[in-house]
Amino acid sequence: MSPLPGSSRMEQLVESIAERVVNLVLDAIDINAIVGQVDMDALLAKVDIDAIVSKVDVDGLIDRVDVQKIIDRVDVDEIVARVDVEAIIERVDVQAIIERVDIEQVIQRVDIDKLVEQTELGTIIAHSTSGVASEVLDVVRAQGVGLDDFVARWVNRVLRRNSEDWPPGPPKLVNPPVPVPALPLEATG
Amino acid sequence: MSASVVGATPPVVGRQGNYAGAATRLVAFAADVGASWGIFTIALAGISFAIDLVTGNQVNLGSRQILALVGLIIWEFIYFAYQWSLGGKTIGMAVLGIRVVGKDGDAITPKQAVIRTITLPLSFLFFGLGFLGILLNKDRHAWHDRLAKTVVVYSWDARAARLRWLAKQEPTAPD
Repeated sequence: MSPLPGSSRMEQLVESIAERVVNLVLDAIDINAIVGQVDMDALLAKVDIDAIVSKVDVDGLIDRVDVQKIIDRVDVDEIVARVDVEAIIERVDVQAIIERVDIEQVIQRVDIDKLVEQTELGTIIAHSTSGVASEVLDVVRAQGVGLDDFVARWVNRVLRRNSEDWPPGPPKLVNPPVPVPALPLEATG
Repeated sequence: MSASVVGATPPVVGRQGNYAGAATRLVAFAADVGASWGIFTIALAGISFAIDLVTGNQVNLGSRQILALVGLIIWEFIYFAYQWSLGGKTIGMAVLGIRVVGKDGDAITPKQAVIRTITLPLSFLFFGLGFLGILLNKDRHAWHDRLAKTVVVYSWDARAARLRWLAKQEPTAPD
């Protein structure tokens, strides 16, 4: 069946009319006003974010990310260069840190005897401090202490007493008061 | 490595500040008596020689007993009081590594040093009864210590001595 004469012109006319109508409608609509009337909060409240997130395969997503490539692209030197180390150090209260360190405990954990035995430190000490006179003094004094202990032991035995609870020396010499560092009340910086 | 005077056993450690025992104190006192007597004798001989040199008269001060005794008492007072007030130790005490401190551990004051020196002879009374406290009391007080409110403690650095002893030993292989 052949098209009716003039149908093609009709189609064109209809199309141009439709196009014109659509344009007129679109010009007449105020999109902003429509959007302004939409209650976005209510809309978002209806969206179940958890359900959406639960459907996302995060592991799969991460697997697809080439982390190494990202790291390679990061210029660490440039980042470090932009960090003001001096400013950071200035904000650190080194004194407060030192005061919180138990130096006594640190020293007690050092086995000085082993250190001296196994290192050249021993030789240095020997060369710098030893002499026959000092060695003789060490021996005489050590013998004296040994004799003191011997005498004290026998006196205790004869008197049948126990002197273990006796103070070993004057309080300020055997139990010197240790200053307790006060912790800063406010954070510095 | 030179031969060590120190024996095979390491010296005692950690007695600094502890009350000194009777044996050490006795040896230190004996050393002080010897030292002060020796110095006094030499000084007396020196003075006699100087007088002889200047005047030409031969004088033996040692033969004038009363004069020598008075001089000795004064000298002993100076010897002990001065050294105790200066650093809490005499020559003998320094050799034995002990010193006098206040009963709490503070440094001895000149006043305490003088009192201790003056009252020292009291401890010799009744056959040295005053010294018994060194053996019997928990703070090792002799009579003169009690009167002067002082105690005698070990002051030598036994730890340094131990380090010297360790340093003399052959280094051991690390574990």
